[in-house]
Amino acid sequence: MSTLMKVQGAAVHGSGGRLVEPFSFSLEAGRPFTILGETGSGKSLLAQALMGLLPDGLTASGQLFIEGQTLDLSVPGVQKPLWGRKVSILPQEPWLALDPIMAASSQVEESYRFLRNEKTNQARQSADRDLQDLGVAEAARKLPGQLSGGMAQRVAFAAARAGGARIVIADEPTKGLDIARRDEVIDLLMREVRAGGTVLVITHDLALARQMGGDLAVMLEGRIVEQGQAADVLAEPQHEYTKRLIAADPQNWEKLEAEPSTSASCVLSATGLGKTRGGKRLFADIDLAIHPGEIIGVTGPSGSGKSSLGDLLLGLLKPDTGTVRRADGISVHRYQKLYQDPPAAFPARATLKQSLADLLALHRLEEARIAPLMRRLRLGEHLLDRRPDQVSGGELQRFSLLRVLLLDPVFLFADEPTSRLDLITQQETIALLVELARERSSALLLVSHDTALIEKTCDRTISIG
Amino acid sequence: MRMILNRLLQAVLVAFTVGLLTFIMIRLLPGDVAYRIAAGRYGYDVVDSAAAAKVAAELDLNKPAIQALGLWLYDLLRLDLGTSLVSGEPVWDELVMQLGHTLQLAVTAIFLSLLIGPPLGILAGLNRGGFLDRGLMLVSTALRALPQFVVGLGLIVIFGLMLNLLPTAGHTHGSHLILPAVTLALGLAAVSAQVARDAMVDVEQSQFYRFARTKGLPEGQVFTRHGLRNVAVPIVTYLGVQFIYLVEGVVVVESLFAWPGIGHALVHAIFGRDVPVIQGTALVMGLMFVALNAAVDGLCYIIDPRRRDA
Amino acid sequence: MTSLVSVQPFSVRFSPRKTLGLAILAGLVVFAFLPLVIGGADPLKQSLRLALQPPSSAAWFGYDHLGRSMAARLAAALRLSLGLALLSVVTAMVPGILLGVLAAWRGGFIDRAIGAVSESLLALPGLLLVLMLTAIVPDNPAMLYLGISLVLWIEYFRVTRALARPILQSPAVEASRLLGFGPVYILKRHVWPEIAAILLRLGAFGGASAIMAVAALGFVSVGVRPPTPELGLMMIELLPYYEEAPHALLQPIAVIFLMVLALQLLAAREKPGKERV
Repeated sequence: MSTLMKVQGAAVHGSGGRLVEPFSFSLEAGRPFTILGETGSGKSLLAQALMGLLPDGLTASGQLFIEGQTLDLSVPGVQKPLWGRKVSILPQEPWLALDPIMAASSQVEESYRFLRNEKTNQARQSADRDLQDLGVAEAARKLPGQLSGGMAQRVAFAAARAGGARIVIADEPTKGLDIARRDEVIDLLMREVRAGGTVLVITHDLALARQMGGDLAVMLEGRIVEQGQAADVLAEPQHEYTKRLIAADPQNWEKLEAEPSTSASCVLSATGLGKTRGGKRLFADIDLAIHPGEIIGVTGPSGSGKSSLGDLLLGLLKPDTGTVRRADGISVHRYQKLYQDPPAAFPARATLKQSLADLLALHRLEEARIAPLMRRLRLGEHLLDRRPDQVSGGELQRFSLLRVLLLDPVFLFADEPTSRLDLITQQETIALLVELARERSSALLLVSHDTALIEKTCDRTISIG
Repeated sequence: MRMILNRLLQAVLVAFTVGLLTFIMIRLLPGDVAYRIAAGRYGYDVVDSAAAAKVAAELDLNKPAIQALGLWLYDLLRLDLGTSLVSGEPVWDELVMQLGHTLQLAVTAIFLSLLIGPPLGILAGLNRGGFLDRGLMLVSTALRALPQFVVGLGLIVIFGLMLNLLPTAGHTHGSHLILPAVTLALGLAAVSAQVARDAMVDVEQSQFYRFARTKGLPEGQVFTRHGLRNVAVPIVTYLGVQFIYLVEGVVVVESLFAWPGIGHALVHAIFGRDVPVIQGTALVMGLMFVALNAAVDGLCYIIDPRRRDA
Repeated sequence: MTSLVSVQPFSVRFSPRKTLGLAILAGLVVFAFLPLVIGGADPLKQSLRLALQPPSSAAWFGYDHLGRSMAARLAAALRLSLGLALLSVVTAMVPGILLGVLAAWRGGFIDRAIGAVSESLLALPGLLLVLMLTAIVPDNPAMLYLGISLVLWIEYFRVTRALARPILQSPAVEASRLLGFGPVYILKRHVWPEIAAILLRLGAFGGASAIMAVAALGFVSVGVRPPTPELGLMMIELLPYYEEAPHALLQPIAVIFLMVLALQLLAAREKPGKERV
């Protein structure tokens, strides 16, 4: 096994001191290396330090050994000659990384022309061949705006790789992707490994780390707390944090005991629901009866209409066919929703205190109900004076929960409520959500792309798409 | 296709608005309009009530307002703009001459402004916070805070009167074009420099620009292939907005430098209450604005392939 | 727990640039309106023996070609410009914002109808429209005001519509509706705060264009007529005396420069690309 790149004591410094502690590792041919950590752990800074892309005001230190060369990481721009030729850097959001007014194949072709000095014709053929290899030959003459997310990903991959580097650095390559797309990306990365190159992956995604295999390092607060072979670390974590992280993976959750509803009455029922969007049929003939206190999971790939089903049940969308019926004599305000992106679900310029006060005033509710709920949801009082963008995603999602609980919901539609949260926060949030729904006999319709999460949490499951 | 249709519709709207406004003007004009117009046409000595009556009939002054408006707009549709109340010449003939002068001025000004504004703006954007960036910011802010006629006055005083280098009024010699064109160009360049600067900053911070660099392309190629092409889009798009200032500037600058173009004629016509000329000049200026915008549409279509599939 | 029902004070933080703009504007306002409070020379009173007298300790701004007090004339011209600008901006802002919200809210026919009206007004460059209106009823500042407002409201309409539309379709508004809040609340808590945040910018921008337009019309002698003091008009009147009395010509230029500069500083975006509008 040959070492393609060696890193000695790489660290990142800000004006307030060291942000990432020195870390040494090496990249071997045919063996992926993964750095796992949550948002803010410093893993992306480490990657940026290695690639020479640190934001202004931050500096790096340490050394990089590559093909007999020694580079001093504290010298800005020292990595530039490596770009494309020795190290290819995969963009985080491929859709935004492609030039919006240049055809896809030209963006691959230019690397052949300017990095490998191929003639225009030859470069064009090389580019088309690459796109064909990746199964996106039809993307060649299209603009990025005309490509689907998956196609853009492949085009960006081809463009990044065209320079012929053997080392691929991918920072959060699966951000915001559903499982099918995530598997595609892993497949792309593993091609490089199999071809005798290597991949450095920086991610918060435990499943990605598991599937990549190779070596794994776990990062917490700027420090590598554990490293070793991926299989070993994930099977027998040593550090407390790694243990918690792995336990927070939905796959490792304890299955909640199903509590089939004993009530015969329905809070909500639907018959023959069908919906088409953009000429594509999302689903048809869905019959559903939802009983008090029931927890129902909905899964399916992205774009399959999971969220649309919930919106139909809440009356936010009109069905093409079928009907939705609510139980008689229940206030319309007791049918509520939790949103995927909590900051987008609050008035942006009002404090949380203000938003809650508005709600209390509207429904003539007692202010005294808030304090016990806040304690229950582990929300500190100091958060009340902040605006939605000044609290963390997990806290804000708990505020959303607080807000709907004030109205004593009988039916709650939670639309991917934790897909933007870190693993540990996700586990806490889902646990609270389920616990409170059960306790108050509110039905819960939980939509998630994560089948394990749904499986472990829900009484029954609906699969779409 | 839609674009062309939209511009045609806009041209019709311009003609309708101008026609309507001038019609109201003729109805509100103080004194016996017909008499005055007849006097303008035949001279005050020979005018009599018969001639006035003839003119009144010609202008449909004795018909109900709605019908007269219909006829007024119908004339406009046939491009029959009538004759000047002051000179008695057909408005068309005068317009053709004036339009030539105005176009000469406008095109020179646009060309000059594109030569000055975008290159400086792009350079400033590439060196954000640098000396050029701050200097350009200062100068363009100052220029935009000065009305165009003040800039023109300044140029007259400095180059015309103090240094005695350039003529300040008239149009007989090529050098007459310099000061009015520079006046217009400075105002346009002040705006386009800032647009170009902001666009360059946006592009340079964009993910696609960064990706082009990390792909390993040489800096020069990144700049020409991904920088310039993308910066050009907002610059050209914004040109359309700038033409509002250009048309307005033409009115002021032509008056200041006694440049015998459309704007100059319009101001004179308003002064002399010469309604047919007001209609004709306003119409031509409005249509010039539409035509310039149509040209910008076409240019956008060429440099931005996204427009082609819209 | 502290009471929930307390309203946060509306706080605005000004950048140095905005502070400078505000300071200049405040200075000009004081200069313009102080004579009304403490009294001062008559801007129309001529006294030929004082013609083109340079600034002195008695008269800081000197006298114009007809021996009229420059200070009094500048103050009067400023009052006219600022007053007309303020009036036009307010007149344009109210219907512009209301129609913008209406169009964004109702969409469909109403949206297209108001959109079409604004487009047709925009077909003609603003100054041309104002010019023709002043030609219909000459010598009347009301026409100037009408014309400028007619051009300005479109900007407010377009910006408000563009701003309100995504807000009204956002999850935040959907959530508020589900929680039982009505249209008034949605306007108050969701739409208005976003519009209020750019109101100053838009107002300052509109004010600057209004002032420029009034001066340009005065300069080509089709706006207000002499002897009314107006900045553009004053410049054209004082131009022939630029050699004997450059101070007189420079004063209205400096005033208009400061005024527009102040408004532009107030209207400036803090960082390019940060705001949506």
